Amino acid sequence: MTAMTLSGKAAIAGIGATEFSKDSGRSELRLAAECTHAALADAGLAPSDVDGLVTFTMDSNAEIALARELGIGELTFFSRIGYGGGAAAATVQQAAMAVATGVADVVVAYRAFNERSGHRFGQVSAGAAQQVNTSGIDNSFHYPAGIATPAAMVAMLARRYLHDYGAGSEDFGRIAVIDRKHAATNPNAWFYGKPITLADHQASRWIAEPLRLLDCCQESDGGVALVITSAERARDLPHRPAIVAAAAQGSSPGQYVMTSYYRDELAALPELGVVGRQLWTQAGITPSDVDVAVLYDHFTPYVLLQLEELGFCGRGEAKDFIAGDTLELGGALPLNPHGGQLGEAYIHGMNGIAEAVRQLRGSAVNQVEDAQHVLVTAGTGVPTSGLVLARI
Amino acid sequence: MSSTTISDAAQRIVSQGDSAPRLARDPVNQPMVNNWVEAIGETNPVYNDPGFAARSVHGGLVAPPAMAQVWTMRGLHGQRADDDPLGAMTAVLDAEGFTSVVATDSEQTYHRYLRPGEHVAASARLESVVGPKQTALGEGWFVTTRTSWTVGEEVVAEMLFRVLKFRPPGEHRAPDADRARVVDAPEYAAGVLRPVISADTAFFWEGTSVGELRIQRWGETLRHPPGPVGTGGDLATTPDYVVARGTGTLYSYVVHHAPKVPGKRLPFVVALVELDEGVRVLGELIDVGPEDVYIGLAVSVVFLRIDDELTLPAWQVAQ
Amino acid sequence: MSRTLRTLHAAEVGVGTELPPMVIEATPTFVVSTAIATRDFQDVHHDRDAAVGRGSKDIFLNILTDNGLVQRFVTDWAGSEALVRSIKIRLGVPCYAYDTITFSGRVTDEIEVGGERRFVIEVIGRDSLGDHVTGTVQVVLP
Repeated sequence: MTAMTLSGKAAIAGIGATEFSKDSGRSELRLAAECTHAALADAGLAPSDVDGLVTFTMDSNAEIALARELGIGELTFFSRIGYGGGAAAATVQQAAMAVATGVADVVVAYRAFNERSGHRFGQVSAGAAQQVNTSGIDNSFHYPAGIATPAAMVAMLARRYLHDYGAGSEDFGRIAVIDRKHAATNPNAWFYGKPITLADHQASRWIAEPLRLLDCCQESDGGVALVITSAERARDLPHRPAIVAAAAQGSSPGQYVMTSYYRDELAALPELGVVGRQLWTQAGITPSDVDVAVLYDHFTPYVLLQLEELGFCGRGEAKDFIAGDTLELGGALPLNPHGGQLGEAYIHGMNGIAEAVRQLRGSAVNQVEDAQHVLVTAGTGVPTSGLVLARI
Repeated sequence: MSSTTISDAAQRIVSQGDSAPRLARDPVNQPMVNNWVEAIGETNPVYNDPGFAARSVHGGLVAPPAMAQVWTMRGLHGQRADDDPLGAMTAVLDAEGFTSVVATDSEQTYHRYLRPGEHVAASARLESVVGPKQTALGEGWFVTTRTSWTVGEEVVAEMLFRVLKFRPPGEHRAPDADRARVVDAPEYAAGVLRPVISADTAFFWEGTSVGELRIQRWGETLRHPPGPVGTGGDLATTPDYVVARGTGTLYSYVVHHAPKVPGKRLPFVVALVELDEGVRVLGELIDVGPEDVYIGLAVSVVFLRIDDELTLPAWQVAQ
Repeated sequence: MSRTLRTLHAAEVGVGTELPPMVIEATPTFVVSTAIATRDFQDVHHDRDAAVGRGSKDIFLNILTDNGLVQRFVTDWAGSEALVRSIKIRLGVPCYAYDTITFSGRVTDEIEVGGERRFVIEVIGRDSLGDHVTGTVQVVLP
């Protein structure tokens, strides 16, 4: 008897995106339709082939609205994942589970928003603070105190991280520099042609100390969609499939959304540890087998913490691990070849999954040679998710 | 200090034992039984139908057992006996600021039913005084007395009676204790993000409004932020809280520069403080320059009074 | 008062037997008359202004009445031959005038005390604010 596993059952067969901008000039539903249309075209499928849709609870576009616009017919599967950017990889997990179990045949995972020209996550949201549910109760212990933006929420943990491990602001800066370096050669990136230096990072203004402006990812308008179907069906479609070798979600004791301040150890991301352990087991690989890492980079400190939590290096050792050319395209662990969210666009992690697919197809603008396994993570500091995508 | 005073007084009163028996104003009598059954809505004929009662298990009229205490009530203008232990203990607790009272338990045991014409007497003794305890009503002491009702030498009924003597809200500190600093901060009222409050967290905000930093307690375990279920998901336990001393050290902090936050002046410092009691509590750190803040800094609690509805806990550098 | 209560026999009762509920409308008249009938002249039980002045919402039921109501609740069910041996109650939320208390109960144990067989009945009296009184009553049934 074979152990039950999701590994290898499903694949990403199509990817699509709108342009990434600061003001799309059109509705979020229109963006969702455009990226989904593009992803289906990329997969060589038609809207009528789609029977499943999955997105974030934060997405403002209902599955049925998107289905109506594109002429998608009957839906047998629709699902949403909570906790902001932590949902990204989990949309693929949900879709993979649906196709692996025969619940659906072709599932589109999508995320589309006017996050810069419309509702900006980086601002203080009274609505989020004062929602009347358990999240609102959770928020009552930090919003009134002034911890009211994502940057501030992360800064509390980042400060403790610096204290515990003797790291400095420059160590955060090195993540921003590598992301911007990769974005500079990606024509689709907002910061195409605009690399930065560590000195630029150090000169950028404080947002929430110890975070500087260049530690915080940009805000973007845009949409990304992914087409997930069975590995078997994906083989008959135009592009080389990106096999879902592992897909996992994770939450951990004492979990809050970005404010898990009451655990014994503050400077850690145990919920990502939950994800990582599943990924390595499901995919049957170890961190050293990863050819490209697409790590969620809403804030630079969390990239360091992810490297530690996933086992690429020991606790507190990320600053040493990233020294030299480790994260360069030719390095031991190329990071965010598309430029990440700091450099390409902030599409809540979905653009990173699309980049992982391109790396496996061999079609990325900043291609890592012979990429076989790509790790993708979702928003961290929240209940999160991750993927290992593999080339056949 | 006040705890010692109270414990010493309790020990003295306990050692005095039973008060002298105090005779009821009237013997057990039918008119009072009649008033009682009418008011309570009692329809049992053994209390007022002589014929029925004669044929019953009682063989004659009896008084309702739950009236045991009624017979020896002091009445409209009655005075407590000088040796009444509850009166003596109440006076001690009143003097220490525990001026409010609420009864919590009444356990009556009836050794036999009383009959009209019997004349009962009551005597009482102090069993125990336990405290100080943090309760939902405030800090207080549980005072337990035992009353015995006798007819002649025979004990006919007994009662264990427990009251909580507590410090009413607003009178939150013993007179000689240091009061936490309360800062009137109406300027913060302009749009400050108000907490969503639930049945599980109301005590915390009620505490801040009277200058108390209340930390939920499940048995011996302190928990913050609070919630509705104890450690390990045990639904059978219920929490109370302790009032934290209000001192601790910075476990981490943020200096917030941008964007603007309603009710705050940029830049401001928010501290995650590890209390001396062991739990972490978040709050703005006021009256300090960001450059003087560091992990490990000793702080003490201060309360920012926004308006009648909201007082926020905050921190200041300890003297 | 000529109503005869049905007499319940021990053989008819077992652990788990539920008592029929009893509903008490705590009108101001009820609160005041029971307070006076129990010789409890504290103003919070009959003087609304005084009760409000002491921080209460209204006048409220006194404890001696709770004992009476718990006794009545059990013997309304058990009948006139039942012997009430103890009433142990914990006092919860107040019962202010105009509220309604609903008593519910259940036999939870059968014990022997001094050669006498007793049933232990768990009683809860709940009003709009929550549990007003909870406790146990021990009775002997014929």
